[in-house]
Amino acid sequence: MKIRIVVFLLFLNSIYSNTQAQKSNEISVSFYPLFKNSVIDFNQPAFYQIGINDSIQFDLLRFYISGIQLLNDGKVMWEEQKSFHLIDANENLLSILIQPPLNISYTEIKFNLGIDSITNVSGAMGGDLDPTKGMYWTWQNGYINFKLEGKCSLCMTRNNEFQFHIGGYQFPFSSIQTINLLAEPQKNIYVDIDLRKLIELNDLVNENNIVAPSKEAVLFSNQIASVFSNRKK
Amino acid sequence: MKKSLLLLIGICFTISGFTILKEKLFYVPKDWPKPEYDFSKNPLTHDKVELGRALFYDPVLSKDNTISCNSCHSQFTAFAHVDHALSHGINNLIGNRNAPALMNLAWQKSFMWDGAINHLDMQPLAPIANEKEMASNIDSVVKKLQRTKLYPTLFLKAFGDSIITGEHTLKAISQFMLTLISSNSKYDSVMRKKATFTEQEKNGYTLFKLTCSGCHQEPLFTNQQFENNGLTIDATLNDIGRMKITLDPNDSLNFKVPSLRNIEFSYPYMHDGRFKKLTDVLNHYISGIQKSKTLSKKLEVPILLSSNEKVDIIAFLLTLTDRSFLFNTDFSYPKELLLKTN
Repeated sequence: MKIRIVVFLLFLNSIYSNTQAQKSNEISVSFYPLFKNSVIDFNQPAFYQIGINDSIQFDLLRFYISGIQLLNDGKVMWEEQKSFHLIDANENLLSILIQPPLNISYTEIKFNLGIDSITNVSGAMGGDLDPTKGMYWTWQNGYINFKLEGKCSLCMTRNNEFQFHIGGYQFPFSSIQTINLLAEPQKNIYVDIDLRKLIELNDLVNENNIVAPSKEAVLFSNQIASVFSNRKK
Repeated sequence: MKKSLLLLIGICFTISGFTILKEKLFYVPKDWPKPEYDFSKNPLTHDKVELGRALFYDPVLSKDNTISCNSCHSQFTAFAHVDHALSHGINNLIGNRNAPALMNLAWQKSFMWDGAINHLDMQPLAPIANEKEMASNIDSVVKKLQRTKLYPTLFLKAFGDSIITGEHTLKAISQFMLTLISSNSKYDSVMRKKATFTEQEKNGYTLFKLTCSGCHQEPLFTNQQFENNGLTIDATLNDIGRMKITLDPNDSLNFKVPSLRNIEFSYPYMHDGRFKKLTDVLNHYISGIQKSKTLSKKLEVPILLSSNEKVDIIAFLLTLTDRSFLFNTDFSYPKELLLKTN
């Protein structure tokens, strides 16, 4: 009797798995950190010229993508469950896979840059949200949504370093941002992150170290969101 | 029929077994509010609590294996740091604040004197990473634990996985801390009508309710708010309290109202441990209040107490001592685990 039940359950499971396979399609969402149209290799940091006599080097880029949705005419057609992804340029983790069903049409992808407030107050999490990933503040609770570190001759700091650890989930310093980009069914999505533009939007001479929730962090998070775009063809 | 009866008996035993186990690990004392901690995300089990207890007492959490949670949170002082105004950590470095007592943490809404920590699970990250406390980080701790003989086995037993993660490490420590319930003081016995106050304690309780309970609300003896209790600022620390977190000037010099349970043993008092005795604390409230824009509204009207009334209040405060908590062997150093070689 027991064997019959096990066989029946296996049969049901195989039908379910096949149905899922037929309905799902893997689509990659890839991120390209750029400086003047060239992709930055964070494992071999190079200096890029800015202005006439100054230079900049990027050493670290890490950020969270969460709450991925696909939309058609503003209407949510699909949303990823447990949607939290750590993008880490130094570990070459610049691409994620999503699995929307095949039979939906959509024109847009929407995601958060950062971690929502509820998750921020929900205690210890695993996977990409594990605090061992180095994206969680310790002196004050909360996820760091976006980290960018490097050196620039404009920064009159120790070793000309700049450090942006952007986070904060509570009013008035919530720094989570929403990004909407174009998308087409069954086509991979390529996202440029124009770091040159981000640097140009900022005054690195005076603002080169943001490492706590603040109005400066909120402003910087807005600027980060503005440099995400669909890959230019 | 016989089989069904045996099955029913078996089920009953299993359910009652779970109930006993659950009661032993965590319970809500009669007339206490609902805990803040969401147990559905981290259900207590005996193995996880024991793992958390080992981690709490193990200096492996610190960079040089010298400082454990217990270093600043000793059980016999209600898990506070007696004799030290400001707690000391690695390399004898002195911290910036007085280590608070640890008890009834399932009911706490936020942690640290300034509420910097929003969830019990995340609390250990702060001392682990603080350069003056353990000077490590959770990633290093996890890697170190993985290399020990002891912990992969304990994590396997507790979480069904010998691969150690930050999530499991933090949840295990929470499990132990959640069991630290203090609800069996003389005060509690009186409230349960199983004991009576002396006349002095009774008078102290009446005075307490008139003068102190605005902030130190029963049964937890804290309103869990942040208040400026009129302390003069210590120029060597310049600690602005809650404002450091919110950046809001209205929060300047606001610190979390601590519980008064086991206060007899959790000296020194205040966020910077400036008062060694309970009389010093009462004297502050009677004649030491520093007026400022953010002073707690509850302290705007002066507190007037005679010498006898101060003694009576202290007599009442001593009824908040819970010896069954201070000396509960379930909370003490797990020698059966840690005295073995890691």
